[in-house]
Amino acid sequence: MKKKVLSVLLSVTMVAAMVIGCGNTATETKTDDAATTEEKTEAPAEEKTEDTEKTDAAATGDMSFEIVSKGFQHQYWQAVLKGAENKAKELGVKINFVGPNTESDIADQVQMLNSAINNSPAGIGLAALDTEACMDGITAAQSAGIPIVGFDSGVPGAPDGAIVATVATDNYAAGELAAENLYPAIKDIIASATAPVRVGVLSQDATSESVGNRGLGFIDKLASLVVADGKTATVEGNDKFVTDSKCEKTDGANVVIEVAVPAQVDASLSKTDCETLLNKADTIAIYGSNQHSGEAMVSANETLQKFGSGEGKVIGVAFDSGEVIKSAVANGTFLGAITQAPVAMGEALIQTLADAAAGKTVSDQDTGCQWYTAENMESEEIAQNLYD
Amino acid sequence: MENKEKKGNAFTNNPIVKAVGAQKIVVLLAVILLYVVFFVMSSSFRQYTTLVSLLDSSYYIGFMAIGVTFCLITGGVDLSIGTGMICYALMGAFCIVKLGMPVGVGMLICVVAGIIFGFFNGFLVAILNLPPFIATLCTMMITRGLGSIFTGGLSIAWPSSSTPQGWFRTIFKINTSGVLLPIGIVFLVLAVVIMSLVLNKTRPGRYIIAIGSNKEALRLSGVNVVKWQWLAYVISGFFTGLAAIAYAGVLSSSVAPGSGAGLELNAIGAAIIGGTSMNGGSGTVVGTLLGVLIMSLLNIGLPNIGLQANWQQIITGLVLILAISLDVFKNKKLARA
Amino acid sequence: MGEVILTMKGIDKSFPGVHALDHVDLEIRKGEVHALMGENGAGKSTLMKVLTGIYSMDEGSITYEGKQVTFTNPREAQAAGIVIVHQELNMMNHLTVAQNIFIGREMMSGKLINDSKMNKEAIKLFQKLNIDINPNDKMGDLTVGKQQMCEIAKAISHEAKVIIFDEPSAALTETEIEELFKIIRDLRDQGLGIVYISHRMDEIKVITDRVTVMRDGGYVGTLITKDSTKDDIINMMVGRVIYEDPKTESNVAPDAPVVLKVEHLNAGKMVRDVSFELHKGEILGFSGLMGAGRTETARALFGADPKDGGDIYINGTKVDIKTPMDAVKAGIGYLSEDRKRFGIVVAKTVAENSTMANLDNFTSGLFINKKKENQIAQRYVEELKTKTPTVDTEVVNLSGGNQQKVVIAKWLVRNCDILIFDEPTRGIDVGAKSEIYHLMNELVAEGKSIIMISSEMTEVLRMSDRIVVMCEGKKTGEIDIAEATQENIMHAATLRD
Repeated sequence: MKKKVLSVLLSVTMVAAMVIGCGNTATETKTDDAATTEEKTEAPAEEKTEDTEKTDAAATGDMSFEIVSKGFQHQYWQAVLKGAENKAKELGVKINFVGPNTESDIADQVQMLNSAINNSPAGIGLAALDTEACMDGITAAQSAGIPIVGFDSGVPGAPDGAIVATVATDNYAAGELAAENLYPAIKDIIASATAPVRVGVLSQDATSESVGNRGLGFIDKLASLVVADGKTATVEGNDKFVTDSKCEKTDGANVVIEVAVPAQVDASLSKTDCETLLNKADTIAIYGSNQHSGEAMVSANETLQKFGSGEGKVIGVAFDSGEVIKSAVANGTFLGAITQAPVAMGEALIQTLADAAAGKTVSDQDTGCQWYTAENMESEEIAQNLYD
Repeated sequence: MENKEKKGNAFTNNPIVKAVGAQKIVVLLAVILLYVVFFVMSSSFRQYTTLVSLLDSSYYIGFMAIGVTFCLITGGVDLSIGTGMICYALMGAFCIVKLGMPVGVGMLICVVAGIIFGFFNGFLVAILNLPPFIATLCTMMITRGLGSIFTGGLSIAWPSSSTPQGWFRTIFKINTSGVLLPIGIVFLVLAVVIMSLVLNKTRPGRYIIAIGSNKEALRLSGVNVVKWQWLAYVISGFFTGLAAIAYAGVLSSSVAPGSGAGLELNAIGAAIIGGTSMNGGSGTVVGTLLGVLIMSLLNIGLPNIGLQANWQQIITGLVLILAISLDVFKNKKLARA
Repeated sequence: MGEVILTMKGIDKSFPGVHALDHVDLEIRKGEVHALMGENGAGKSTLMKVLTGIYSMDEGSITYEGKQVTFTNPREAQAAGIVIVHQELNMMNHLTVAQNIFIGREMMSGKLINDSKMNKEAIKLFQKLNIDINPNDKMGDLTVGKQQMCEIAKAISHEAKVIIFDEPSAALTETEIEELFKIIRDLRDQGLGIVYISHRMDEIKVITDRVTVMRDGGYVGTLITKDSTKDDIINMMVGRVIYEDPKTESNVAPDAPVVLKVEHLNAGKMVRDVSFELHKGEILGFSGLMGAGRTETARALFGADPKDGGDIYINGTKVDIKTPMDAVKAGIGYLSEDRKRFGIVVAKTVAENSTMANLDNFTSGLFINKKKENQIAQRYVEELKTKTPTVDTEVVNLSGGNQQKVVIAKWLVRNCDILIFDEPTRGIDVGAKSEIYHLMNELVAEGKSIIMISSEMTEVLRMSDRIVVMCEGKKTGEIDIAEATQENIMHAATLRD
């Protein structure tokens, strides 16, 4: 008898643990008080000014959309959510915005996609962690006639027609933008260097399309800028980046671009990668291609104190925002950083979904990115895309 | 063999070796060897700041490892320390950043949360008699989810060192006129000394070892085994709380909900390298500290000699196999004696 | 007795620092049961391990069926027909009987295991042994005796010509031993050579034809069993006569106070309405066959297992014992039958084990007072004549008898007045046995009271002042030592409903 009670207890605990542990971080629009309190005061004002669109909203009144994101670990996603919620309110549609616990939980995301399809929404927004894994779900949605709009990194490699449109930052272009803004700061050092110099690239992983493209865009652009000025460049480090980059590999190049990728997404491992780069005497600049890598740079700098500008300093360039990176840019630790436009992305996503559901033709959209520095980060154009 | 007298070779019979323990000497030599190898192979490793980083990563692995050593010695394990640490760090960060509490309170929350979950684990293992592996696996999942729920899925950073709230980072590193003093090591060593005394010189420690050695025999000796087994998990929870503070203190990164799975293996691995038996009944806190140093040396040193990330993992795995083989070999010898 | 099948000559084996076997000879003939005797540590097991290839020998030769052989592992020995039936049964409890017997050489039909064929083969084996076991039963559901039969069946399934029995009777009841002997005699009559290792002198006389005695790794001599007396053999083993005579009358004064009174104790199926009294200075023997519920009674009394009902009075006061903690507080100490599992916290030192039940008294402030602990441990090492180099020696390095003394020391340190000895001499060699007996007599002379559970009839008759006999969880007899005989104890022990 006692054993039976125990086993029941055990199963209950296990099930509970599963539900909580592997469960979704579902953030329904209505219940997310913490994130929306700030806008609540503004909301009525907005509604009044947008009278014209209200008629449009009435037509879409019963529509609901399922948004399957990559999770909420980074504030970036909160900004996307914010944009999406704004637009949803504006159009009067319902959205259910979900995402797995971490960006490694591919199976959880597949589960979420499947249950999204089961809710038979008017459309699905999807930022796939792994296209291959989501393939069954995508096919199922297609046959159910539910349009899928990709966002953020989208659904790369999906078959033609499966995804009606993708609303995303052009990550490759964003990486290029980072290189373009870094280059002027290191141009003279490279020109006057007697020995090869090193530029580090910190990438959170080598599998994600978005992070990968940000790295490749940076590498390719930087290499071409170096070559344009009559010097040579090469790539070393992580094999995938070395293979995928357009930069030609040469021995004894003037500029060595070294890519470090940790074995798993772990703040401590990335910090160590950055420290290792910072410890190399020939390193002149380091680029961190997302919030995780950018923050690891700040962690490493706590010990090494090498980022900054001027003699013997290493120039830091980051990606995305968040309190840690923003203050590193503001106090001059980093030269600057790239920010995407997550709010605009969220808005564009819902608009595109609504259009697709209404049967309009939709097309891909680059929601853009911006370079921000201590000087311009207060400006309204930039500030709206920076988040804590 | 029915002969009862144990014979060893010249090394194990040396009185100093006997007093300190052969395993610890071997691990200490390994620490020194690894340090020398990295020192020779990498110029960046030779820098003082690398030593500071090495200690940085030792703090949180170290605190977790000290705690989990007690569970391992009872013959159990605590798998919830990795995700638990992240969960408590998130709770602390949330209370400081979002609710505006003082940093001191946030740190206290980490420790209290750790103790509560340690208490919960102890309840599952000592009272409900769930296998520790299963029980703490469940807690691992629970803490993983709970951290996310607590912050609404947000990752939150603890106050940075440039803000007034960032004073807590000086617990681990003080910047005195450009020179970094890694004073966190003082606290880690202090913890090792105190817990060594607890383990070897006090009743709770004696009973915790005895539980791992032969729980039923201890029970039949009229000792409250439930209480002491429970305590081991509370100790583990408490130290996981400390680890959460150390994690937040040495990393400026925002704490990411859902992460932390896998970190427990660093700590458990460190304890085992340090000579704590997976079967319980034997282990030392000093050995665990040495194991932590090995793990940190591998974590910091391998990238410094230019090894790619995946190779780092393979080498760490091989070192663990070596350490566990030593444990198994030792047990076999014990079984034959 | 037939021709010689196996000869071991001048076997010599050293381990680092110890000369385990010193030129030992052994000769086994077809159709004989050959006892191999010696105290623990005499080298019997080592000799058998050399024979079956677990250890290699340094010197000497083994001749088997006329040819010189060396086995490098037990498998080779098995294939040649030399098989050991171990003291600890090597059975997988979750597999069936037949699956156990044919483990490692399963009968196949194609790629799949043919269980029904193995079952049939197993039945044939059992028929040969004249025993009735269902080959489809799970091994774990069988009694120890039946499990041993299976082990024997497994041995003969290897076409064994020499079977070595390593203390086969240690865990068996009297009836099971009788069955075992029948099987052994059958095997002998079929022309097999049997090596029989045992400590039980009575059995040696009953079952064996010849006896080879070893002492301290050396060969002492070989006797024809029927021409020698018990004392001859024991003298060869230890060099002295140690057997004491049975006790003839109780040493307890008729008016000695009752220190422990148990009324209507119930616990599960194995303890049903058991009541008894224990007097000051008394050794109360608990006799019965294996599975009679004696250990279960002790464990329930001690709070080690839950009770369903019953009252316990210590010195006339009712006590509520729910856990061992309560029992120890009430002054009861329990020496388990299985020292390795329950009695000794292995891999810990003598001193640490001595104070384990009473550590409160050896702490000053937060810390354990190591000096005080060592002092008390040393005192009891001297009092109990425990053979240990120091009190910091790990108990796992001590012999069984000395381990038992450490457990006794633990309860004496706790100052327990009532001691429950559960099979106090199991697995202990003859010399150490009489020391334990001596010690028990001293303890009661000092006013302690002892409950002694024992499966050895001679031990019960020799030590007890009074004997409680149990059968199938019930008390079926209470006999004063003056009237006790093997016959009336056995009669009560088989009084089933």
